[in-house]
Amino acid sequence: MNVLHAVIDLETLVYVGAIGLVAIGGLGLVLSNHLFRMLLALGMAESGANLLLILTGYRGDATAPIIGYGPVGAPMVDPLPQVLVLTAIVIGVGVQAMAVSMLVRVYRAYGTLDIRELRKRMELEVSAAAGIPVPTSEEAPAGERPLPPVPAYRRGHRHVGPGES
Amino acid sequence: MNHLVLPVVLPLLAAFLMQPLARVSRLAARVLGPVVLALCALIILRLWLNYGGAPFVVAIGGFAPPLGIVLYADHLALIFALAVPLFTLLFWPGLGDRSSDPGHGARRDALVLLLAAAGTGLALSGDLFNIYVFYELAAVASFGLASLSGTSRALVATLRYLLLSAFGSVLSLVGIAILYMETGTLNLADLARVAPHTLEGPLGLAAFALMVIGFGVKAELFPLNAWVPEVYATAPARVSALLAGLVSKLAALVVLRLLVLVFHQPEASQLLLALGVLTVLTGELAAWRARDFPRMIAFSSIGQLGIVFIAFSIDGDIGLLAGIAVALHHLVAKSALFGLSVRWNGSLEALAGAARTAPLAAGLYVLLALSLIGVPPLPGFWAKILVLVGLVQGGSALELLALIAILLVTAIEASYLFRVAVRLYQRGKSPPPGHAPWDLGVAMALGAVLLAATLGISPVADSLRSVARQAGDAGLYVDTVFPKTVARKD
Amino acid sequence: MRNLASLLFAGGLAFLLLALGAQLAFGDPAMRVGAEYLHVAGPELGAANLVTAILAGYRGFDTLGELSILFAAATAAGLVLGHRRADAPRDPPGGLILRAGADLLFPLLVVVGIYIVVHGHLTPGGGFQGGVVLAAAFFVAVLADPSRTLDHAAISWIEGLAGAGFILIGIWALVEDGHFLAPLLGTGTMGQLVSAGTLPLLSVAIGLKVGAELAGLMAHLSDTEARDQ
Repeated sequence: MNVLHAVIDLETLVYVGAIGLVAIGGLGLVLSNHLFRMLLALGMAESGANLLLILTGYRGDATAPIIGYGPVGAPMVDPLPQVLVLTAIVIGVGVQAMAVSMLVRVYRAYGTLDIRELRKRMELEVSAAAGIPVPTSEEAPAGERPLPPVPAYRRGHRHVGPGES
Repeated sequence: MNHLVLPVVLPLLAAFLMQPLARVSRLAARVLGPVVLALCALIILRLWLNYGGAPFVVAIGGFAPPLGIVLYADHLALIFALAVPLFTLLFWPGLGDRSSDPGHGARRDALVLLLAAAGTGLALSGDLFNIYVFYELAAVASFGLASLSGTSRALVATLRYLLLSAFGSVLSLVGIAILYMETGTLNLADLARVAPHTLEGPLGLAAFALMVIGFGVKAELFPLNAWVPEVYATAPARVSALLAGLVSKLAALVVLRLLVLVFHQPEASQLLLALGVLTVLTGELAAWRARDFPRMIAFSSIGQLGIVFIAFSIDGDIGLLAGIAVALHHLVAKSALFGLSVRWNGSLEALAGAARTAPLAAGLYVLLALSLIGVPPLPGFWAKILVLVGLVQGGSALELLALIAILLVTAIEASYLFRVAVRLYQRGKSPPPGHAPWDLGVAMALGAVLLAATLGISPVADSLRSVARQAGDAGLYVDTVFPKTVARKD
Repeated sequence: MRNLASLLFAGGLAFLLLALGAQLAFGDPAMRVGAEYLHVAGPELGAANLVTAILAGYRGFDTLGELSILFAAATAAGLVLGHRRADAPRDPPGGLILRAGADLLFPLLVVVGIYIVVHGHLTPGGGFQGGVVLAAAFFVAVLADPSRTLDHAAISWIEGLAGAGFILIGIWALVEDGHFLAPLLGTGTMGQLVSAGTLPLLSVAIGLKVGAELAGLMAHLSDTEARDQ
């Protein structure tokens, strides 16, 4: 691929942008530890996918697919990808709205949105609900602690009791 | 024939009206869902009995394909279209609900109806983007249903599921974009016509890979199946039964249609085979280490679905037959197991002595376990043997690897399923309570279906053979959607 | 280690897609069904806006699915968020500028929204776009003054009846014409407000449903208490 020529070419630039958005969104989703940031990364990836989809309908020097908009007989862009993207955007909005409501509830219940912390607590709760004894760490000291442990600094950390629902 | 649309549309109508109706009359709202589903099942049953065996097409809106959306009904599609309302009725989450909040119940029923409509749409649709839309509808409805219990752990599990599923949808949307760019159409039959010219190269393979990974989220396919165990453990057991039993098969059906109609290249089958093997290994190994009943059967369902995909990747009719056999068998057996997990939702140790309080359930569990492992003469044995024969006939290195993997995994399955069976019949201090009559009845009925299939294995095999042959015939599909008698300018 | 693996994965994915995409013919799509839509959609359905013609006509089934997805999301969010206790404190209202601006914007947004919905078959727009603008009108009102609550019962009725209206128009077509969601009522003269048969009716149904749904979702979210207890 002639890189210099490709950068100047507007269509390829937008295409690279779309793929880049999907990749950055995917990367953010995988690397991030904060649920809200993961959601934002997901939103980015969805935008990238929508951009790519609508790009598939582009025709050079064509007008909008509305009869009477451009000069008679002018080529029009492919209308189908626009319909598809409309649907995909609405789907994305619905999913994000639902995710945000769940985020609100999770934050209220656990006080944190760190996915690692939440996974640990979820595992504990699932095991507790099933009645499986939780394995204790091999490195934990045996016997009673003489003093209560000093909690490590965590932003927004709330102590959750065992009866948390 | 045009009223084939109704089983998709009527549940949607009922879902839209459910909440206003609940404000007017609680009883009507509680009854509306099951009534509509029964009606849909009857419509499909009547169609099945009257349509005469040849696949037919319904053009929605009267718009001829490829401009309009079509519904394609062959044996396989109708089997699943009938299974959706039937299983949704059997595992209706609203049954036995005694909560005082009508809004909650109405919302839950609406979500279940939406899931049923999406499932029927997935089974019948003949347009790729339409399939994507129904797939997303099933996903969103299942997000709502998975978090139904309202516990915080269910919310975290559902959030993980949501993020994975939404990323999968992004990938499949990219795949659809690449596909549309290359071919210019979204109708499956039209794609089948143009695929040999346009999708043979690396672009086609990339589109297939993206779509398989995207649609494979619901089919519990590696690599996006980490959500499965926690969601099935924290969701209500009936919801897990619907998701693991029914919805995952519909997602597998979508992949099957793509493979048969659009992506004929051998690399596509090899990719599916590789993903299937990885799915099987990761699923069953994790099942062996699971310590509570719902997660154990959740992991086991990952393993079984991996076998389904391995079967689909085998060339020729035997692959399709084996895959459909395993899928249908799993639909029946796993749903029954999740039905049993309504009461048996604790750790495996807590199940000790359950045979005394629930003898029927314990016996049923043994039957289901034997069938899942693949002990003759149960249907599970025949299904697995078909997969193994197909792999041996294929003969390539990857297929032999898959063969070894399946044999290994069968041994692992036997080990962990029998561990539980032994524990059921042990003497226990505090065995779990017996099952609710409806759940037990449904599970027993499904077990009876398995037994009936065992006794009548020959006619069942013959009818499945014709189902598979019809499903694998891409030419028949194209000719049904675009009949040659109509002169078309192409 | 995990970061490195993820970086490699994302980089590999991006590179692969870029390399493949270089083979795609941008600016010159295959236009297999696209060209046919451009030719027949206008005369067959009478709508000037071909995107709406496809959305509510040829692929109306997809639109129905999309409506259901939004409905499912709003319902699931309502299920997750639960109810608000009656005595829970509300957020304080916005400042004078915000409230005055919101009061001014509300009727303007409603009018713009209705315009976009109703002209969906003539100019760029349609049910979804107009419905979102309608919902935005209510967003602005609620955000400026959180003590203003939306009537959930009314929203629920509008949502339900609009959605049912869409499906019932389709079933009417099934009864009349033999096909679900077939276009009825003729095509009229292209370019007129009353043209394109049932397409504007479907747009109105979509607009009402989407507007009510999103407004209800916003109301639920703003109703949710900020703190647990």
